[in-house]
Amino acid sequence: MSADKNTALIERYVAGQLSEPEAEAFEAYCVENPDFARRVEFEQRLKAGLAQVARGNTAEFVRSHNPVRWKIAAAAGVVLALGTAFYAFYHSASLPGHAIMAAVTTESQHTGAMLRLALVRGADSSATLAPGIVRVEIVGLFDPAAHYNVELECLKKKQNIKTLATLEGQHPTSPVTLEVMIDSERLSSGTYSLQIRKQGSDEEPLDFPFQKD
Amino acid sequence: MDFVPGGELSRRIREGDVSAESELIRQFEPGLRVLLRRRTGGDHGLLQDLVQETLLVVLQRLRGIGIDDPHKLAAFAAQTARNLAIASLRKAERQKTDVDSEATDRNPDSGQSIDGKTADLEAALAVRALLRELPQPRDRLMLKRFYLDDDDKEIICRELDLTEAAFNQALSRARRRFRQILEERGFSKRDLLSLI
Repeated sequence: MSADKNTALIERYVAGQLSEPEAEAFEAYCVENPDFARRVEFEQRLKAGLAQVARGNTAEFVRSHNPVRWKIAAAAGVVLALGTAFYAFYHSASLPGHAIMAAVTTESQHTGAMLRLALVRGADSSATLAPGIVRVEIVGLFDPAAHYNVELECLKKKQNIKTLATLEGQHPTSPVTLEVMIDSERLSSGTYSLQIRKQGSDEEPLDFPFQKD
Repeated sequence: MDFVPGGELSRRIREGDVSAESELIRQFEPGLRVLLRRRTGGDHGLLQDLVQETLLVVLQRLRGIGIDDPHKLAAFAAQTARNLAIASLRKAERQKTDVDSEATDRNPDSGQSIDGKTADLEAALAVRALLRELPQPRDRLMLKRFYLDDDDKEIICRELDLTEAAFNQALSRARRRFRQILEERGFSKRDLLSLI
């Protein structure tokens, strides 16, 4: 297929001008050809980005800057900076000095109690942590080459979410599993959450709630 | 990027080869994102969830009973993604109906459901940077009419007094620059704040 034909086909797909069978064939080709798919995705994102900007103000398309907006942005910047400073102070002051959570380092840790946490959309109940030292297996989609930060948060009081422990630089054990050890005895009854953040990435953290009875 | 055929990937995953699982994710994720982006109406969070769910379903299937024709692994993954997207849409419609019986009459692809939390903010930032850089107001208007108003190229060219070659060149330049901005991810704090 020539480059021009490819471009025309991508334009028609993104504009929603292909019939359903044509679109499905196009999509199957995308799944098999990641480089081609990336081209299509850029086109989709360009269209979506334009739509999003236009929803704010279509004047964006006919002028290049707006001084009033920059003043608002500067004010928002001050608020954001103060908020960030407060957040950093609060969290550094609240970290406990003893280990509630640790990395999985030995094979023998695989023999004890285990809790599996997975993102199940629409699930009504969350998993319960057993007493003692528990290996927590977090099921998600992980990049084996990346490092992840794992934060244990207490959600007992909704107004006051508290970070109890942080593990930095954790490696997933497989593309779909990341493991940590939690000492259940050090946690009181309530709702907790493990937040998984990919280091050096602005992706939203993954959030895995669980209960301690 | 080296392409690994579906049959080989299926076999290696069945045999417990973790690197084959990474390979599958790397190979299929871009295409699944394309397919699901079209079906999630601009909801970036839902898109990410569904891509993850699709890959997990495919991996679990391959680790377990496998698929009938391993050579059609990509088609299987694409169909799994479509099924999950349909199920998700049905579930969302049911939830809307619970609280608002007229909700099912609305068009799920209208784009009205997009909010700041779920939209592709990175793309919006890149577009904003791109619009600032475009030297001619005509180029900005051209992008708006082509992508947002879905006007035909010929009509745009006629009304903006452009040749087709000039139109294609400007469009290709804009695409290239948009991609470059996204890849560099060189957003300043000023850019981020401009979306607040």
